[in-house]
Amino acid sequence: MSISVGDAISSFKIPILMGVMVIFGFGIGYLINYTFFSDRSPVQPINFSHKIHVTDNNIQCMHCHAYVDKTPSAGVPSVKKCMGCHKAIATDKPEIIKLTEYWDKQEPIPWIKVHDVPDFVYFTHKRHIKAGIECQTCHGPIETMARVTRVSSLKMPWCVDCHTEKQVENGRDCVTCHK
Amino acid sequence: MTNINRRDFLKLIGAGSVGTGAGVLYGEVTKQTVELLIPQVIPPEDYSPGIATWYNTTCGQCSAGCGISVRTREGRAKKIEGNPVHPVNQGRLCSMGQAGLNALYNPDRIRRPLKRNAPGGSFTPISWDEALTTLGRRLGNLKIQGKGNQVTLLSDGVRGHLDKLFATFMQELGSDNYLQYDFAFPNALYKANKILFDIDTLPYYDIKNTNYVLSFGADYLGTWLSPVHYSLAYGHLRQGRGKRRGKCVQIEPRMSLTGANADEWIPAKPGTEGLLAMAIANVIISDDHYRGSDIDDWASAVGSYSPSAVSGQTDITESEIKRIANDFIRHRPALAIAGDNIASGTNAVSNILAINALNYLAGNLNKEGGVIFNKKPSLVQSTQQRHASYIDMMGLRDAMSTGQVDTLIVHNTNPVFNLPNSSRFKEALTKVPYKVSLSSFMDETTDLVDLVLPLNTYLESWGDDIPEPGVGFTTATVLQPVVTPIYDTRSSGDIILTLAHQIGGELPVALPWTNMEDYLKAGWKEIYSGQIANSAFNSFDQFWRKALESGVWGENKTCVPDRKNKTKQVQLNNITIAPEFSGDEKDFPFTLLPYISQTFFDGKGANLPWLQELPDPMTSIVYNSWIELNPATAKKLGIKEGDLINVQSKEGSLQAPAFIFPAIRPDVIAIPIGQGHTQYGRYAKNRGVNPINILESIVDDASNALAWSSTRVKISKTGKHIDLVKTSGVTRTLGRQIFDKPGKHS
Repeated sequence: MSISVGDAISSFKIPILMGVMVIFGFGIGYLINYTFFSDRSPVQPINFSHKIHVTDNNIQCMHCHAYVDKTPSAGVPSVKKCMGCHKAIATDKPEIIKLTEYWDKQEPIPWIKVHDVPDFVYFTHKRHIKAGIECQTCHGPIETMARVTRVSSLKMPWCVDCHTEKQVENGRDCVTCHK
Repeated sequence: MTNINRRDFLKLIGAGSVGTGAGVLYGEVTKQTVELLIPQVIPPEDYSPGIATWYNTTCGQCSAGCGISVRTREGRAKKIEGNPVHPVNQGRLCSMGQAGLNALYNPDRIRRPLKRNAPGGSFTPISWDEALTTLGRRLGNLKIQGKGNQVTLLSDGVRGHLDKLFATFMQELGSDNYLQYDFAFPNALYKANKILFDIDTLPYYDIKNTNYVLSFGADYLGTWLSPVHYSLAYGHLRQGRGKRRGKCVQIEPRMSLTGANADEWIPAKPGTEGLLAMAIANVIISDDHYRGSDIDDWASAVGSYSPSAVSGQTDITESEIKRIANDFIRHRPALAIAGDNIASGTNAVSNILAINALNYLAGNLNKEGGVIFNKKPSLVQSTQQRHASYIDMMGLRDAMSTGQVDTLIVHNTNPVFNLPNSSRFKEALTKVPYKVSLSSFMDETTDLVDLVLPLNTYLESWGDDIPEPGVGFTTATVLQPVVTPIYDTRSSGDIILTLAHQIGGELPVALPWTNMEDYLKAGWKEIYSGQIANSAFNSFDQFWRKALESGVWGENKTCVPDRKNKTKQVQLNNITIAPEFSGDEKDFPFTLLPYISQTFFDGKGANLPWLQELPDPMTSIVYNSWIELNPATAKKLGIKEGDLINVQSKEGSLQAPAFIFPAIRPDVIAIPIGQGHTQYGRYAKNRGVNPINILESIVDDASNALAWSSTRVKISKTGKHIDLVKTSGVTRTLGRQIFDKPGKHS
C-alpha cells in the first residue's frame, strides 16, 4: 500500500498555490521598486553630471570637494563655487539656468543626500583619504555617473569587512565609529 | 497537469497582484527618509565644516566677569567652557555660564523691534529704521528744547566701554540721569569698605591662601561676588597645599552650600552677626592679641560687647564666642567676610564694619591669605559709581510719578520684578509718557514699555569687561561675537551709536563711531598706547588680535596696592548694630530670608530651561518655589512637606509648598529668589513665587540699600498640598544604618 502525499494535499492545492503566488509577487514587486524607484539614485533638483565634469572636462574631485582631506565631511561645493565657472561657461543650458536662478535668489540648492550614515556613526572623510583610500572604493565609478547612484550599502557589515580586510588598527573596535 | 478552472485562475492572479503590491510597498517603507544636503551659498572664510572653532569671550550671565571659550561649528555656538587663561575662573565655569546657550537659542527671544499701538494695547513689529527714527526724533526734540534731563537711562551693571558709551551719550544729551540697578549689587559692602578702608573697589579676598575663613553669611561657593573664583580658591584651601588644610566656619541662620561645606555651621540669631563680630573683637582686644597704637580707641569701641553681654542676644554661648575668637587669632592669616543675607539687613553696613574690623585687628590686611586691596582699574576710564541704591530707585520712582521723566530707557534690567510691591515702582513706571526697553526677552519691565529694541545676547555682541572684584592685578577682557546674530537684533552699543547719529548736533562729534566694534577698538588703542613701554607688540593690530585670541589682557605682574593697611579711624563707635525688622515679633513670629538662588541668580536665569531643571544644591528641588522650615517649627504647626503654606507679611502674602529643612533656625523661614515671573517666556512664566514681592520697603540707612532680609512674616496652612519635584528621597536614614556603621558600606 502506498501513501500518496499528492492526494493528501490535493484539497489544499489552490490555497498553497495562492501562497506561492503571493510570495512570488512580493519578490517581483520589491524588485520593481528596487530597480525603477530606488533611493540609491534620487532625482536631484539640478541634473548635475559627474561625467561631464570629471571625465569630459577632467576636473579633479578636490577642486569642488575641497574639505575632503581636512574635515569629516567632503564638503558639498557652495553655490558660489558653481557660479565661479558657470558665470561664463554653458550659461544657456537649462540646468545652468536653474543654477543661476538659485544664485540670483541667493538660495542654496536643496540636494538630496545619496550617501548617508546614521547620526550614531562617526565617519570622517579626512581619515580615509589620509589612509589612501580612493573615492571610487566607496562611491563606485562616480566619474562616469550622469546621476549619482549609491553602489555601496553603507551598512555596518560593509564597513567592518573592509576594516578587516585592510587590517585597520582598532578597525573593529566599537568606539572607532560609535563614539 | 490539473486543469485550473476560471475561478481558481482569478484567485491566483489576485494573490499574485496582492503580493506584488505588498512587495512595492515594502520596498517603499524600508527606504531611508530623504535627507537634504544643503550647501552654503557663499562659503565663510573663517571655518571649515565639521571642524570646531573656539572663540574666547566674556560671560554675561552674572557680574563676576568670567572668561569663557565657546565652541562653534558651522557658525553655531555649541558649548561654553571656562577660558583657561582667564584669572577669574581659570578654565572653570558655573551652571549659569554653561546655560548661556539657552539664552542664545531661547525660543522666547524678541526677534524684531516692537511698538505698542495704543496705551495698554498690544505690540506690533516694526523695522529698525522706524524704531530708531522715532526714538531719535523724540530724544533730539527734548535735547533741542533743553529738556535733556527728562531722559533717564536705567541699565544693568554694565562696565568697561559700554558704560563709558552710555555715560557720554547721556551727558551729550544733557541728562544726569544715568543709573544702574542690579538687585544683588552689594551696596552695603562697597559702603563699608569705603568707610573703613577708603576704597572704591572691592578688595581681593584671598581665600586660597588663608588658614581660616570666618564667613558671616557670604555664600562664596554659591552666589557671593565671584563664586567660580572662590570655589577654586576653596579647593586649594582644602586640598591644594599638603597638610595645611584650611578651616571654614560659616555663621548664618540658614545653611547655604558654603555652610554645608564648612567645618562649622553656626546659626546666630538673624541680624545679630555684627554683634557677634564685636564680641570676637572684644576677645581679641581683652586677650591682648592686638598691639596697635590705636588700641585704646578700639578697646573703648568694643568694650561694652563682651561675650557674656552678647551671648544672650546672638543665641551663641559665651564659650563658643571665645573659642571662635581664639581660633581666628591662632590661625592667622585668617579672613572674615560678610555677604548675602548678613549684608542685607537694616544694619548691613554696621555688620560689615564690625566684621571687617576683625581683619584689621588680626592684621590680615594686605597680606597673602587676607584682604588684599585692588588697584583702581585704570584700563577703562570708569566714570563714576552709578549703581543705584534702593533710595536712588525711590528717587526715580518719585521723579516718574511727578512727571519729571519724559522718556525712560531701560537696558537689560528688570526693576518691576526685582523691587518689592511696596516700592510702588510699577505704578510710577506706567506714568512715564514714553518708555523704551533694550532687552532680549519680554520680561516684566519690558512688557510695560512703549518701544522694545531687541538686544543681541552677549554671545553676539562686542564689548569688554573689567572683572569686579578684581584679582589683585590689572586685567580686562574683550567680549567678541562668537556667532552672527540669529534674529533681527542689535547690540546695545550699536543702538546707542546709531541714535547719536540720528539725533545729530554735538552727539556725532562726541561719538563719531558708527558701530561698537570701532568704538571698542578706539578705546583699546588708548590702552595699547598707555602700555606701549612694556609691550611686546609691534602694532596695535597685533595687540588687538592677541587680545581677541586669548580673550583676556592683563598686566604681567601683581599690583602693589597703592595704600597701606590703615583705617581712617576707628569707625565702630557710633554704629547701629541692633537689627530692625518690619513687623513686630508677636504678630509676625518668623524672619523671612529670601536668598539669591544659585541657579536663577536674582531671577535672570529663570527663563533658561537647563537651569529650571537643575536641582537646587541644598534641597534637590526643581521647577518650583518652596519654603524652608525647621522640623521643629513644622511639627509645632503640623506642617508636612508639600503642604501649601500661606506666608503673610505686612505688605502682602504668597503661597508656596513647605520643605522641611533641618539646617535652618526654628524662627526663620527661607524662600529662594528667582521664580515667580509673570512674564519672561514660557519656561519662567507662572512658575513659583517671588519673595521680593512681599518685602517691606525698609532700608539700611548707611548704604541706602534695600534691607531685604529684614521682613517678618507669619505663616499658616492652607490645607492644600503640592508634591515637590525633587531628586533626593528622604532626608532621614530610616534605620538603614548608613552613618553609624560606615565600614559596612564602604
